Parts: sequence; C-alpha cells; structure tokens
Amino acid sequence: MDPRESFTIAARSIRSHKLRSTLTVIGVVIGIASVVTFATFGASVQAEVVGGIADSGANNVYVLGQPADEEGFQQALQPVFTEYDLDRLAEIDGVEAVVPRGTIPINAVTHRGDTVALQQATATTPEAVTDETLVAGRSFERGANETVLNRAAAEATFEENVTVGDEITVDRADETWTLTVVGIVNGTAGELPVGNFGPQPGLYVPADPFYESVVESPNANARLRAYPQATVISDPASTLAVTDAVETYLQERSDARQLAPDGVELVARTSGDFAEQISDVIDQITRFVTGIAVIALVVGAIGIANIMLVSVTERTREIGIMKAVGARNRDVMELFLLEATLLGAGGALLGLPLGLAVAWGATRYAEVGFAFAPVWSALAVLVGVLVGVAAGLYPAWRAARVDPIDALRYE
Amino acid sequence: MAQADADDVVTLSEVRKTYDLGGVVEALAGVSLSLPRGSYTAVMGPSGSGKSTLLNLVGGLDTATEGTVTVGGRDLSAATEGERAAIRGSRVGFVFQTFNLMPRLTAVENVAMPLVFDGWGRTERRERARDLLADVGLGERLDHRPTELSGGQRQRVAIARALAPDPELILADEPTGNVDTETGERIMSLLDDLHAAGNTVLLVTHERRIAAHAERIVHVRDGAIERIEELSD
Ligand SMILES: Nc1ncnc2c1ncn2[C@@H]1O[C@H](COP(=O)(O)OP(=O)(O)OP(=O)(O)O)[C@@H](O)[C@H]1O
Ligand SMILES: [Mg+2]
Repeated sequence: MDPRESFTIAARSIRSHKLRSTLTVIGVVIGIASVVTFATFGASVQAEVVGGIADSGANNVYVLGQPADEEGFQQALQPVFTEYDLDRLAEIDGVEAVVPRGTIPINAVTHRGDTVALQQATATTPEAVTDETLVAGRSFERGANETVLNRAAAEATFEENVTVGDEITVDRADETWTLTVVGIVNGTAGELPVGNFGPQPGLYVPADPFYESVVESPNANARLRAYPQATVISDPASTLAVTDAVETYLQERSDARQLAPDGVELVARTSGDFAEQISDVIDQITRFVTGIAVIALVVGAIGIANIMLVSVTERTREIGIMKAVGARNRDVMELFLLEATLLGAGGALLGLPLGLAVAWGATRYAEVGFAFAPVWSALAVLVGVLVGVAAGLYPAWRAARVDPIDALRYE
Repeated sequence: MAQADADDVVTLSEVRKTYDLGGVVEALAGVSLSLPRGSYTAVMGPSGSGKSTLLNLVGGLDTATEGTVTVGGRDLSAATEGERAAIRGSRVGFVFQTFNLMPRLTAVENVAMPLVFDGWGRTERRERARDLLADVGLGERLDHRPTELSGGQRQRVAIARALAPDPELILADEPTGNVDTETGERIMSLLDDLHAAGNTVLLVTHERRIAAHAERIVHVRDGAIERIEELSD
C-alpha cells in the first residue's frame, strides 16, 4: 500500500496515545542515550587525552614500578629509583635529561595571609621546568629556597593570584619553609600523562634540599635520595632504543631491582603505551555501558511489544474494517510493524540528543573537548529502528491474522 | 436451481457453512443462488437463519465449508487470502448495520480507505471520496469524524465508502438496523438510486418493509432457502 498513507495511519495511531507512546519508548530512549553518551564521551576523551599524549611527550620514557598483576596505571609508590640509578640512566646514549619526581607531605600553604590546605608538594629537578612549560619566570635552582607553581595553584587557589617574586610559606608537621615563587608553569616536563583531568594545584620544589626519602643504595653503598618515579627524556630520534636500554638497565643492574618489594615490576613506558592503556580502559567502560544499554534496549523492546499487543487487541475492530475494505494480511502487518518501528525510531531520536547533551556536559566537567561520534550516533538510531522492528514482528503478525468476521463482531 | 450464467455477478452452488464449537452449528445448509448483473435482491429470515453468513461468504470475508461461491467469475474458495482481499477491496462494497467506520479517520479518509488498498494515488483518492460524499449529501461534512456525525450520516459515509472502488456488487447487512425509520427510508432510497444506476445490490434484512425495496426476496430459514419471492413494482 501507499507508504505515505501507511506512515500517516501509523503516526496518527501513535499520536492518539501520546502519553502511552512516550512511556513506551522510555526504555529505548535510555538505552540509546547511554550508548550515545558514552560513545561520544569516550571519543572525546580519546581524542583529547590520547591525542594529547601522543603529541606531547612522545620522547618521554616513564620509569615506574607497577604491581605485577596490574594492567592499568596503578603505580607502586615505594621510592626505589635512587640517585645512583638516575645517574646511570642519564648516561644512556640518546638521553637528554632524567627528571625524578617524588612527593613531600605538607599540611598547608600560606600566601599573603591566606592559608589553604594542600596535601603534597612535588620534589623534582630544575629540568622539569622547561621553556615550553613556563608561563612566567624561570625554574627553581638546586639547593635554593625557591618554588614553581602551576596555574591552578597560582590563579585559582588563593584569594589573590600568586605572581613571580611572591613569597609563600609551607607548613609541614614539624617545620615551616619560606619559599620564593620564581616561576609559573602549565604542567611540567616528564609528567605522567594520566590522572590530569581537571588540573590540581601543584607546588614544585627542588628535591635538593627538600626531598627527604633516602634509602641505602646497594650499588653505591651509600644513603641516597630515592624516588617512586622518574622520566627519561630522550632525543626524539632514539626513543625506542632508549626505552629498551632503560628497561635493560632496570632489570639487570639497577638499585631499584634490588629495592623493589616482591610483586612490583619495574617498567619503562612510553606515551604510546599510556595512550594504548587509556584506550583500553575507555573501551572497557564503553563495553560495560553498552552492556547496560543493551539491557535497557531489551526492556524497551519488550515495552514496545507489550504496548503493540495491547494495541492489536484494542484495534481488532479497526483491523476487521480495514480487511473488509480490501486490506491484505500484508498491509495490516506492515501498518503495525511500521508503528512499532516509528516508536523505536522515535525513542532513538529522543535518545540521541539526550545522549549528546549528557556527553557534552560530561566533557565540560572533565574539561576535554567535545568530539561528536557520527558513526555511533547513526548506529544508535539504527539500533532504535531495529528494536522497533524486532518488537513489532510478533504483534504485527497477530494483527495480520485477525479474522475480519470475528473482528467486525467484536465490541 | 440457479445455473452459472455469464451475466451473473454472483453464483452460489450448494454452499454449506458450519461452525464447530464443540457441537457443529450449520449456519448454511446447501444454498444455491445467483445474482444477475444489475439485480436487486433482499435476503429475509429470522435471526440466526444464516443471512449474515451468506453475505459474508459472497463478500469474501469468510470461506464456505463446502460448495462454491463465484464473484465476477472468480471462485472464492480457490482464491488466496490476498486475492480475496483484492475482491473485498475492489469488486464488492460492504454496508454494515453498525457502520464500521474507522473512528480516528475523517469522512473523506474513511471513504478513501478502500482506494488506499486498491493502489490509488493520494489526490485521486481524495477527489473520488469528496465526489461520493457529495453524492450521498455529505458534501459539507467531509472532515468530520464518525463521532461527530449522526447515525444516518455515518451510514451514508459507509455507503459512499462501499461505492468508492466502483464495485460490481453492493452488500448491505441490515443497513437500517441502527437508524430510525425516517433515516432508514433515506438510506433505502439511496440504495434504490444505486440500483437504478445499474448496480447489483444484495440486501439482508429481517423487515418486510425494507425488503420490499428489492426486485425479489430470498426467504431463508435454518440456513436454507425457503422460497424466492419475485416482486413487481
Ligand atoms: N463465528 C461463528 N461461530 C459460531 N457460530 C456462528 C458464527 N457465526 C455465525 N454463527 C452461527 O451461525 C448461525 C447463523 O448466523 P448469522 O449471523 O448468519 O445469522 P443472521 O441470519 O444474520 O441473524 P441476525 O438476523 O440475528 O443477524 C447462527 O446460529 C450463529 O449462531
Ligand atoms: Mg445478521
């Protein structure tokens, strides 16, 4: 029959039960919206974080300890990389710098009489602050009472913005430091490319003299500073070779190998490895959410099927009339199938913008750029349509089989 | 009895229809009858005598248990479901006691409905429906829904719908059963006009006064033809 007429009839029957139709498609709306939300959010995070990792710090080799059975980013926090190790790493061919990183527990930071609680400062070397990362000022010097703040700390933490030249006081459990702010940075070189959604306030101080984690170095036979993490910055042309050499050193001769507790594996990761791991995690989350969405869609399909069966019963007489004026079983089947399909498609079309809106909100919240995932969106709508078709098949078949005589007698 | 004739629109021969609901109900017990082209026949009989069953078989709404029903030369018992639907949609026009209009469709849409299944274009359908509604005196009620029409008006919409595909045969089952006497007369005069215009009409009624509009009355009782009464005007 005339497809336009089928459409008109099906659409009219949906419109005549607005509330019922709306309630019916909620399952589909939720299913589609969650798929779209997470596909879009995942794509956005991937584009931003993974893309960002790949082009920033492509020549960084991250040295860290990981629990052996962990696949993710779990980082062992024991300080095992001694200054001896750092010196050996710096001697590897193609290494430009080795930037260690350790944390110093603190209680609070005061700037112009405004005290803010802060749990840790980062101890590192002057090489961590490069021209690319500096917004203002310069790096601190080894052995000086100087500090560098990141923008979150300088611009969004204290009542008054911190500028280069200001003094801050850092309160610790048993002492107080007075430091001169010599630089403001936007991130630091060799920073691990994970966990930086929404920048936290950061306070960087020279490891010498402030970092106090010291261990007995088995190789040097002396007490040396040791860090839980270090980043080897390589000459971009030899990142691969450096990674291998670092890995070899770690496994064969390092202090870290002897200091690391059982179950901690020493690894040299490149930003590509991190990008891959983040992708894996995003994929896992996407799969999980897709699972939930599939359940919502199945519930949605059952809802549509249920309401379509009710509709067939309610409209038995109408089916009889249509058959009496020449409708074939196929026409009746088509009409009901189309109606179910429209419900599914309607759910998808409501779910799509809803999902996009939620994803947009999530990207705002996570401070990543919004990346539209056109394939997923198209797929979501298609799935909605298919859910409608699947849900409509049995009711439509029932409708097609209605006996016109019985139907016309039906009151 | 009735022999197949090239100019008979409908031929029934030895038609039996039984319903098996625990016990067998014989609604029609061997009926043979033919309707010549342009004839006007009334079927009369008490309630439960099988009148509606007969009409439904002729209209292709139902199939005979035994015997053959031929409409326009086509044996309905040999027809597929799709072919019977096509016959219902284009060769016969039904008028029911309870009107059986689509409640959500307007008068025009109701009348145009058979044409949808008959494959007409949208504008042709509307034009034809409008003309037919004007013919039955409802030119001013085109976009009214059945609930906004009186019983007599609804039945006139139903008649216009029955005429829409220009059928060979008009089947009316108690068309005046749900309207008052005066309205009934108007509907009957519409059917008279259709007959006068050359249409073949088969009318089912249990009222003598209504049956008297036809050229002949087939009296049925207990699923069998009792006698055929020819009327002269
Ligand atoms: N679907 C059915 N199932 C079982 N029995 C049926 C069915 N349809 C009709 N019958 C039986 O067949 C017989 C004839 O019914 P039919 O409807 O043809 O009578 P009718 O002459 O039209 O009566 P009325 O004047 O009351 O409309 C009745 O006994 C009826 O009970
Ligand atoms: Mg009857």
